[in-house]
Amino acid sequence: MAPKTLAWLLVPALGLGELFSALYLSSRPPKLEDWSRAAPVLAAMRTHHELVVIAPDWADPNARYAFGDALMPLADVARPDESRYARAIEVSILGADAPELRGWRVVDERHSGKFRFRLVENPAPAKVLYDFVDHIADADVFDVQGGHQGHCSWNKAARREAGGLHGDPAYPSERWECGGGAWHFVGATVVEDEKWKGRRCLWSEPGAGYVGIRYHDVLLGKVVRGYATLPWWIERELKGAPVDMKVLIGGDVALHYVHRDGDGWKAFSAPTGARAGTRADVEFQVSSVRPREREFCFQADTR
Amino acid sequence: MKPSSFRGKVFDAFVAALLGAGYVALLLATVKNLGYARDEGFYFRAAGEYKKWFDILFTDPARALDQSSVDAYWRENHEHPAFVKSLFALSFKFLNVQWHVFKEAGTAFRFPGMVLSSLGVSVTYLWGRREIGRLAGFVAALFLAMQPAMFYHSHLACFDVAVMSMWLVTTYAYSRSLEGGIGWAVVTGILYGLELDTKHNAWLLPPALILHFLATRGLRLLRRDLRSGRTRIPLALLTMATIGPVVFYLCWPWIWFDTGHRLSAYVAFHTNHEYYNIEFLGTTYFRPPMPHLYAWVMTAATVPTITLSCFLLGLVKSGIDFPYWRAKRALPVADHDVLEASWSTRTLWLLCLLTSYAPWLSSDTPIFGGTKHWITAYPFMCLFAGIGFQWTRERLTTLVPTVLRRANVPDAALAASVLAGPVFMTLHAHPWGLAAYVPLVGGETGGASLGLNRSFWGYTTGAVQDFLNAHAPPHAEVYIHDTAYDSWIRMVRDGRIRSDLSGTLTLSASNVSLFHDEQHMVRVEYQIWVDYGTVRPATVGVYDGVPIVWVYMRPPVPAPIH
Repeated sequence: MAPKTLAWLLVPALGLGELFSALYLSSRPPKLEDWSRAAPVLAAMRTHHELVVIAPDWADPNARYAFGDALMPLADVARPDESRYARAIEVSILGADAPELRGWRVVDERHSGKFRFRLVENPAPAKVLYDFVDHIADADVFDVQGGHQGHCSWNKAARREAGGLHGDPAYPSERWECGGGAWHFVGATVVEDEKWKGRRCLWSEPGAGYVGIRYHDVLLGKVVRGYATLPWWIERELKGAPVDMKVLIGGDVALHYVHRDGDGWKAFSAPTGARAGTRADVEFQVSSVRPREREFCFQADTR
Repeated sequence: MKPSSFRGKVFDAFVAALLGAGYVALLLATVKNLGYARDEGFYFRAAGEYKKWFDILFTDPARALDQSSVDAYWRENHEHPAFVKSLFALSFKFLNVQWHVFKEAGTAFRFPGMVLSSLGVSVTYLWGRREIGRLAGFVAALFLAMQPAMFYHSHLACFDVAVMSMWLVTTYAYSRSLEGGIGWAVVTGILYGLELDTKHNAWLLPPALILHFLATRGLRLLRRDLRSGRTRIPLALLTMATIGPVVFYLCWPWIWFDTGHRLSAYVAFHTNHEYYNIEFLGTTYFRPPMPHLYAWVMTAATVPTITLSCFLLGLVKSGIDFPYWRAKRALPVADHDVLEASWSTRTLWLLCLLTSYAPWLSSDTPIFGGTKHWITAYPFMCLFAGIGFQWTRERLTTLVPTVLRRANVPDAALAASVLAGPVFMTLHAHPWGLAAYVPLVGGETGGASLGLNRSFWGYTTGAVQDFLNAHAPPHAEVYIHDTAYDSWIRMVRDGRIRSDLSGTLTLSASNVSLFHDEQHMVRVEYQIWVDYGTVRPATVGVYDGVPIVWVYMRPPVPAPIH
């Protein structure tokens, strides 16, 4: 039989090949019940509040459903980056790897059903001494306009608001309210960055002057370090004015950070110099020459 | 290949009817858990208004034809023409309200869309039968019906599959009109008017037909026509230009008054359509330039690969059969005429296909509709796939012993081998049609890893309706996210969702929240996390392990309702 004629068999072979590929591919991923069955394995491995990372990342909702807030708290899920974590557990399906844990040392690896659990160690973890987002309730927050300093007041049960797709990020129920509109507050929320990842940060949208957030007696490390962004929904329009943030350590300006639309989740770092290891007041002053829709949100810590 | 005997024609009509009826039956059998899509909500509302107008028309025609009545009822959703929405309205009026054929009004609204999609399947068979052969026509029809996205859209009270079918039947009538006589030409004009009244894709058909005329007339004859000042423009083109607009006008009451202004507003709406967000390969596009590869990659990722492969084979075969190759020119006249006729039809198919894709050659064309916006190309793609199938069949038959050939075993085996994959993928994808990706890109998980859109229109609420009914607290406020309010209301009125549950678009007021996956929508999920104080969904609707829709409940979560 001529090979040319036999080559036509590739057509039915392709048809059947596609059928069996579809059957195989649909049977490969774990079902939602499988995720729930994996929870005890993860819980047993997570002895020191390790970060839990899901690979591939699109499976994250399944993992959050099965593992819950205890194993995947909001602060971890919407983390600024991985640098503060000494260890992490990568929960992997379909042989995927988490790119953010590349270079971390594998300490333990277990397999359960369709899951692979890897306990990994950060080769150079940072020791966070003070997290400014976690301590927002301890700060003093004020709003300076036209040389007049107005105090913002802490409300533990403020009216929650969330703007939906086209609106503002969620206004948390615990926040510093600065008057002049519900939007004018300082508090922890979650916004999307340029990769649409959630980032927990301090909403500090400036008014006509600047918003000041002063933390007292903060234990300093070598740097005050963090990230800032505006919700990508707004930033991507590339239409807004820059946002300025001054970081003052002990009353001295240690950093003048400028955030422009399109910067995304952008890192900043202010060296503490000779003050490392001491305690001092740290203040963040946020302003913009055109403050319309400047939904500035930052995360910072000392380390 | 044309069926010559009366018996053959009756048989083919029977097969076409069977295919159509079977497809409608399948669509009806699978409609229950397919939530109402965002745009359906708008059309339900519009069709509800039009039904009121039809009520008046049937009782007091003079009042119905008065401008005040027309304006009052036809103002709703006047950015789209009226033919299909009128069918939704009439189906609702008769099949739900008056005759109770359908218990759910939503299914009554959807029924005309299902029938029109089935018409597309039937006509694909009939045209394939005429041009390629019975089995190849049958396979082409099933290639069309058995595509996850096509199957999804075929359920809906929307215009996309409707305009696909209208384009196909108009082109079929046009093709028949080229054989001579006036009947098919008149039918073509009427059908084109209805197509114009279905969706604005219809604007692209005349360029395809004019190109076809130019290509098939040939340079020599065109020159002669120009010199003599007498052209032989197909009659159907003239009826499309005359009867078409009249039918369009008559079937759309909104433009009976203030016609110029309303027509220009209609055209302006579609030529200046806003851009919506859509994810493609991990990036959300929301304004031009849109990626040039979008239409091609999405076609390859969503249409079964065997269908596309047969389509490519069909294109090659059509190229080989080009009647003006030297070898073909040497054929006897009768054979050459057959080749020429077949080349004319295939050129028409190819031009319809290319015209349907043409808008996406521009990076300014919005891409938010996924594959549905060029779905008018798919019947023609499947007809070429039928040619590819037939070519394969002819070659493989020689490998099989005569005794098996007589029993049609190789035909059945070949058809089964190329259709089994599409059938499985299509049925398995329900009710997640827009999330379905073919094995070529790794299936659903591959699509998710590549960053291809998993859903839009918020239709997947239907996939979690049972959870909502079982778990939402009594009188809960449900944040409906991307589901249109009209769609939600229809789900409640149709008894799909508990009547004590209220839909809301105010997240902070809700106790239960839906989240429909789309990359740019995650900002809504982050709002839920902060507002509800949890990152844990109460349930996730997954398709082959890939999350598509999930539900949050504000803590403390109550016990389920049984």
